[in-house]
Amino acid sequence: MSGDIQPLFADEEKDILQEVMNIAFGQASAELAEVIDIFVVLSVPDIKVLKGSDLPDYLCKELKPATTVNIIEQSFLGKFSGQALLVFPAGAEKELLHLFTQDQESNSQDIDIDIDTLETETLLEVGNILIGACIGKIAELLNDVVAYDPPHITAKNLNLENCESPVPAENFAISIRTMFRFEQQNVEGYLFLIANQSSIDWLKKALIAFLESFE
Amino acid sequence: MLKSILIVDDSPVARMIMKKCLPPDHGLIIYEANNGKEGVEKFLLHKPDLTFMDLTMPVMDGFTALSTIKKHDPQAIVIVATADVQEKVLRKVSTMGALHTIKKPPSKASVSEALQLATSAMEGQNKA
Repeated sequence: MSGDIQPLFADEEKDILQEVMNIAFGQASAELAEVIDIFVVLSVPDIKVLKGSDLPDYLCKELKPATTVNIIEQSFLGKFSGQALLVFPAGAEKELLHLFTQDQESNSQDIDIDIDTLETETLLEVGNILIGACIGKIAELLNDVVAYDPPHITAKNLNLENCESPVPAENFAISIRTMFRFEQQNVEGYLFLIANQSSIDWLKKALIAFLESFE
Repeated sequence: MLKSILIVDDSPVARMIMKKCLPPDHGLIIYEANNGKEGVEKFLLHKPDLTFMDLTMPVMDGFTALSTIKKHDPQAIVIVATADVQEKVLRKVSTMGALHTIKKPPSKASVSEALQLATSAMEGQNKA
């Protein structure tokens, strides 16, 4: 596994990227709390750069004992363009749905939607919120503006032990591992940003410009 | 007048940005720590006039470090620097004794305001 950010980013670029992600996730936490009115903590992101072909093995090791995942994909378009993949262990959708409906349980029998659809919609909405907040903040900090396609579920109950990578083998994915903690519930998820070479080139320049903006 | 500050943050870039935001010719002695545990140790060693404290750090987070520092020295002037400015977070650090919170990334203006607040707090302590 390449596993290391080093080949793609110099030390200074890596440190700046880590801090930009820390700030972005911190600000995203605060804005999410306003949007969904739930105390949310997005923990210190751990960043790696992976080759697409290494992604299933990496996820398998990181998500143990879970081996089955759901993946939400959303494309973003700006100077920094690519796809965001949000990976949750299968079953997380039930915890997330509970989180959003816990104050309405007495009315749950009135909802005329089957539970599978509700769980899928929950994943999409959580994906939309988390990806939008995180990517939006990264873009804002780096003076970019991004547009989004609607999110979609790209894999449901995907068994990582026997699957093809959701990322083309030759592409690089910036992996941002974070724990999404909502109130008392911990839901661990992984956000992957898949960017093409021109976006990576732009990102490297933008990171240096970010630091220079404090001169 | 402030003579020394301690910057506690696991990110070398965050510490660099904080130093860049200090006024030119500030004349301050600057100590740095890269996690909460090291922050507490350096606080006890150097007794800085002001401590800037990040919250999300490995080894020991900023909440624990703030609480530990205030236990050792209730007069310690600690200003939290965080990107996560949720009301619950602001209330919690305020209850724990933080003088003020600045939002990350800091700016020259927000750091200057923080230094003024710390100076006033220190002068108030000296008068009391």
